[in-house]
Amino acid sequence: MTGLVLTPREEFEARVDLGGMLPGMADLAKHKIGYGGSTVELGELFDVSGSANGRLTIEGGGRLDRVGARLVEGEIVVKGDVGHSLGSRMTGGAIVVDGSAGDFTAAEISGGKVAVAGSVGAHLGAAGDGSRRGMSGGVVVVAGSAGRRACERLRGGVVVVGGDVAEEAATDLIAGSLAVAGKLGANAGRGMKRGTLFLRSADGLASGFHDAGDHDLVMLRVLVRRSPELAAFLGKDVTKARRYAGDLNIAGKGEALIVSR
Amino acid sequence: MILNGVEIRDSFAEAFPMVGTRLIITADTAKWAMIAAKTMTGFATSVIGCGCEAGVEREVPAEETPDGRPGVAVLIFAMDIKGLKSIVPNRIGQCVLTSPTSACYAGVEGGDSISIGKALKYFGDGWQIAKNVNGKRIWRIPVMEGEFVCDHETGSVSGVGGGNILILATSRGEALQAAEAAAEAMSKVPGNILPFPGGIVRSGSKVGSKYAGMFASTNNAYCPTLRAQGQTALPPEVASVMEIVIDGVSEKAVSDCTRAGIEAVVALGRAKGVVAIDAGNYGGNLGPFHFKLREIMK
Repeated sequence: MTGLVLTPREEFEARVDLGGMLPGMADLAKHKIGYGGSTVELGELFDVSGSANGRLTIEGGGRLDRVGARLVEGEIVVKGDVGHSLGSRMTGGAIVVDGSAGDFTAAEISGGKVAVAGSVGAHLGAAGDGSRRGMSGGVVVVAGSAGRRACERLRGGVVVVGGDVAEEAATDLIAGSLAVAGKLGANAGRGMKRGTLFLRSADGLASGFHDAGDHDLVMLRVLVRRSPELAAFLGKDVTKARRYAGDLNIAGKGEALIVSR
Repeated sequence: MILNGVEIRDSFAEAFPMVGTRLIITADTAKWAMIAAKTMTGFATSVIGCGCEAGVEREVPAEETPDGRPGVAVLIFAMDIKGLKSIVPNRIGQCVLTSPTSACYAGVEGGDSISIGKALKYFGDGWQIAKNVNGKRIWRIPVMEGEFVCDHETGSVSGVGGGNILILATSRGEALQAAEAAAEAMSKVPGNILPFPGGIVRSGSKVGSKYAGMFASTNNAYCPTLRAQGQTALPPEVASVMEIVIDGVSEKAVSDCTRAGIEAVVALGRAKGVVAIDAGNYGGNLGPFHFKLREIMK
């Protein structure tokens, strides 16, 4: 099950743009990629070994941008850190990074799963520059922390962050779910229209969120049975949460559910 | 064919294609899940008078339901998909949404979709919220008690309606005792419902009537009090007949259910007053499914 393995020939002197490189590609070594301001064949920067079976392993990274961008199927495993736009606009498949990732991780994805063992930069699952909508489907799990404006204009899907999330998370969130196990930065959920924030504390919520009290929500029981990621966050026996409705400053119908474990 | 003194008549049940769906109704307790399920499947014995046929398929243990609470699986059948699409949300809206602590989920996938939350969300008057997880949309409709949770839609299956057996006995009490035993055994066969009261029909019908506008009327050939008037299908010792009607999600489900019922009645035997088992049909020209009793019991 190893599939193809990319091993950098030497330390990169410039950023490497791997956008458009997909696990199932034939003759991967001849695929054109961006390197600094120029275009080179992938084989010039990486040793390519193994055989194509839908799985691609990248040994080490750091300066690799757009890894798995527009991924449709298959699996990409990165051993190390990656740069910006990890998995952006992917529609299916899976990406696993055992290090950290940069800005715009999982931006505008509509399907598939992204798992990052470390932390991510700003704009996790958010809308890219000039776009109106962020992630609209799929699952993102970040074990570490996330930078500012995570899930800005999120349209759907599930994002789980194991650590802290910086300020202005879920700004203008349209729909979907963001779960944060750590601390929430200031002004989270400002302009939130619908969707759900699963939190451990209400600290950091925007001023437009108002306490609606404790509730036994059947929906929680359904979610933990349909989403393994939310089950891991909420606990499989969850039944109750404290509900904050918001952003009421814009008559939003979103909510923040405070679930303690 | 004689089994334990009971004649299995050389007859067949004539059944018809129907379209159906399964719903899983849950609640905080098994009691309230069953109340919602029974209310929702009430007045649904025959499409002729009720527009649909519905019933409880089985209790669903909490560990098998979408929300981990006790549940009940119900099946609803109609003559066509248009009818089903109208009936299902109406019944859920009036009988499940209103029932304390209930929730309602799709119990079958594929086929034409039937709206559940998609239709009922409007009760939320704009306060309803949808959640989409793993490609499945679920609705939360605020109600005075809390929230009513239901799937966006359910699927549908091509089913079989009108499978049946007739139990011919020497007294009303013995006919009912045999029918109760049959209904209990048949209700354990998955994929079927017995839509009549307690699963039993005391007033089987024939097609048509002497009166204009009546689609069905009493099956006089099986009425013991009419033995002396016209043609009778009953031997002299039979004083009462009970029928069990079966609707199932497949031909095999109905066949298995039929067999289970006959076996239960045969187990009682002639000693308990059962004379024969028969089946209702229309000569074989109306319904495409023929459940031949003797073949089923081979």
